[in-house]
Amino acid sequence: MRSSEPVARAGRVQLMATCLCDAFYDDVAAATVQVLEHLGCEVEFPAGQTCCGQPAFNAGDWPASRRVVRHAVRTFRGDAPIIVPSGSCAAMLFHGALLEFEGEPDRPEVEALGRRVRELGDFIVNGLGVKSWPGRYERTVAFHRSCHTRGTESSPAAAALLRSIQGLRLVDFEEGEQCCGFGGTFSVGFPNISSSMGNLKLGHVRAARPDALVSGDMSCLMHLGGLAEKAGEPLPMFHLAQVLRDALANGGLLP
Amino acid sequence: MKFQPIDQAAAALGAEKRAAVQAGSKAGHEKRTKLLFEHYSDPDRLRRLAGEIKQHAIENLDSYLPAAEARLLANGAKVHWAATAGDACAAVLGILRSRGATKLVKAKTMVSEEIELAAFLEKHGIECLETDLGEFIVQLDGDHPSHIIKPILHKNRRQIAESFERHGLGTYDDTPEEITRRARRFLRHKYLEADAGLTGANFVVAESGRIVVVTNEGNSRFCLAATRCHIVLAGIEKIVPRDRDLGPLLNLLARSGTAQQLTVYTEFISGPRSPSQPDGPDEMHVIFVDNGRSEVLAGDCRDILRCIRCGACLNVCPVYRQAGGHAYRSVYPGPVGAVLSPLMLGGRFSEKADLPKASSLCGACNEVCPVNIPIPDLLLRLRARAQREGISSPGVPPFGAWSVLASRPAAWRAALIAGRAIDHIPTRLLPVPALRAWENTRTLPPWRGGEFRRWWEKRRKR
Amino acid sequence: MTDREEVLSRVRSALAPLGRREALPDFEAGLCLPDGLSAVGGPEETFVERLRSVNGEAVAGPAALAVRLRAGGWTRGYCDPELWPGLAPHFGPDFSVETEFDLARIDDYSFGITRAAGAIAETGTIILDDAGTSRRLAALAPWVHVAAVPRSRIFATLAEGLGALGRDSNVIWVTGPSKTADVEGILIEGVHGPGVQIALLL
Repeated sequence: MRSSEPVARAGRVQLMATCLCDAFYDDVAAATVQVLEHLGCEVEFPAGQTCCGQPAFNAGDWPASRRVVRHAVRTFRGDAPIIVPSGSCAAMLFHGALLEFEGEPDRPEVEALGRRVRELGDFIVNGLGVKSWPGRYERTVAFHRSCHTRGTESSPAAAALLRSIQGLRLVDFEEGEQCCGFGGTFSVGFPNISSSMGNLKLGHVRAARPDALVSGDMSCLMHLGGLAEKAGEPLPMFHLAQVLRDALANGGLLP
Repeated sequence: MKFQPIDQAAAALGAEKRAAVQAGSKAGHEKRTKLLFEHYSDPDRLRRLAGEIKQHAIENLDSYLPAAEARLLANGAKVHWAATAGDACAAVLGILRSRGATKLVKAKTMVSEEIELAAFLEKHGIECLETDLGEFIVQLDGDHPSHIIKPILHKNRRQIAESFERHGLGTYDDTPEEITRRARRFLRHKYLEADAGLTGANFVVAESGRIVVVTNEGNSRFCLAATRCHIVLAGIEKIVPRDRDLGPLLNLLARSGTAQQLTVYTEFISGPRSPSQPDGPDEMHVIFVDNGRSEVLAGDCRDILRCIRCGACLNVCPVYRQAGGHAYRSVYPGPVGAVLSPLMLGGRFSEKADLPKASSLCGACNEVCPVNIPIPDLLLRLRARAQREGISSPGVPPFGAWSVLASRPAAWRAALIAGRAIDHIPTRLLPVPALRAWENTRTLPPWRGGEFRRWWEKRRKR
Repeated sequence: MTDREEVLSRVRSALAPLGRREALPDFEAGLCLPDGLSAVGGPEETFVERLRSVNGEAVAGPAALAVRLRAGGWTRGYCDPELWPGLAPHFGPDFSVETEFDLARIDDYSFGITRAAGAIAETGTIILDDAGTSRRLAALAPWVHVAAVPRSRIFATLAEGLGALGRDSNVIWVTGPSKTADVEGILIEGVHGPGVQIALLL
């Protein structure tokens, strides 16, 4: 997969909030803004944004997906880095889109968009070179690495940041590399397998006795959280951005 | 609501079988990972190299296949070609008939499962005996293997012992040692009675005309020591350019498949027995089998032909662990099978177009693949093909209307607001099947459409 | 069209549209060396250590071999007639060793002693070939196989072993005793091949 390049210093960035945050997780998008501003970034939110096109791509409807990606190309003009609080949306734009745009006349534009996309944790640690995070977060936390960050720098980056936070205790759990079972439309097309995978993951997580589960992808947490709540055993779950923002707030570092 | 066959198979898999599959797969994966990372500081570098070697080989089969043939002929072997499964079976039968042979012992080869050789030979009066312990047990039961390396992953000792007793291999005894001893005694004399031995080929080296066969049990050695005729079934994609290219491949194959540095026996066979050697075949026949591979070669998923059949992808795949091998309805299950099996059907692709959908695209398979096959990318290409061919997909929502919505910002923003209705409508009345399916096992989070944008606007105005 | 013509023409048309074909990578044999596995000494020491790690055994001479076979209760066996004169003085009257392998009595031989073509230290592998093996079955059928390995032919690495494959039509790399884990993943030794694999270093 691709390597993460450092950015000279924080400047103008565009936020891709993701369709999931647009629909369900507004606080994650807000926390992402607050975190980026704390780092000195000037955040722009192109209001015409919708989705990265991944759901249709995964389902094999590439013409439909391409329509949405083209809209993203039109929406995110310029050359500022595009920060996205999701490993899976990032991977869609810098890897998946290239597959479905093979042979398409506007592939270069799509490629150019993909090169600007940075997953949040990767941007903070590898882009801006931030190695430790200020503030406080008094909780025992388990970190779930989403599958789309395989082969990238995102997950080690996120874990490193979390570990650096004062008061935060990061616990490991078994079979961390196994998928949570979401997989987009897989979660509804293959409900038995998807739920079994999710419950297996939840079992391992609970055995580590964390206060909360944290991830860089709300898709995984929507699935795991939904399973846990349906079973009557909810487990607090947060996005990395929320933990970073709350650490700042606890440390009196948010304006 | 209709469901996917593999998902239904997973739900129907008994607890005993599921436990066996999960434990076996997990152990296989963990041992492989431990050994590989103990032995190599950078295993990925070796995997990438092995991948490049195999990719080069398959992209140049047009020159390597004739070269391999010429070398084999020069070594004293005979070479046959089989375009289809039927041709391959006929070729085997032809060789046996030419020698008046009626008894065949065979070592494990997936190609023989593909072409359904045993059933064909039995129909033509040839006794065909499996000698690999797992395959022998499968044959006894009339069962099917569920894993390409560990065919009886789904069975436990009790079931095997019961089977042995049913087939006259002694009274019930389920200790693994005794099971193995009985098979050894039984098969020993079958080798000596047989007229011919059949093996597969893990690799075919074009430069030297060598067939490479790797095993742990010694059954293929016995086929080649006790009989006078050796038949090799080799898929055309087994080609490796040079002897030295076996270095990366042999170093990765056993580590990936069985967590061994090397399997117990690595045989390099380049012709019939040497004149001074009293044991072994007088004739060696190599049958190059196509059976759909050239069509795979022509498509955009040809990378799957790199596969060296190690089984590591099966061991790590969370879907395989839940569903078991039989759920794939194919000789090749698991991640590799999800790509290869529908592709090898050629024009009947639609019969197995559901296999590539049985994946969360987690990518673990590619991470463990010794030849670095980008399986998730290939699964996605196959999903796109299914869509183009209009093959329906139960349980998966259509995306045409959604994509229009997602390319019209005003409509999108309106939908975000309108979506609040979800929180007030009982799930079973929601007009979106996918949402109803979701809520069978999961709750939906509260709808917050439009909230972030409102927050953003309010903040901007300050 | 023959099958050969059909298959090859399909392969040719499948590959014809490829603009760029993957090049054959050039690589140093050293790249394949497992750098996490350090040699314990010279090739002979490393070979013995690796052989032991795969449950093989090494004995340093004919006397030690006789002691080992006797200790295992294996006194009836076969030996390659070329090797026997050198070994016979060390085998007492309790042994019954034949230099002709009688197929009709295949189950009578508890051990078979044959010549190896060499060995590979990196993997603990014994190399057999048709030229050096008096009878394939003698090296395979008995419960115990003893391979006489010439010390001068112990290759350090797997890559060197590949380089030494030569023209023999049946080269076998033997890495420990035969085994299976088909039954519940439990390792059992001695399936079709030998359950005890010994290297006699000469």
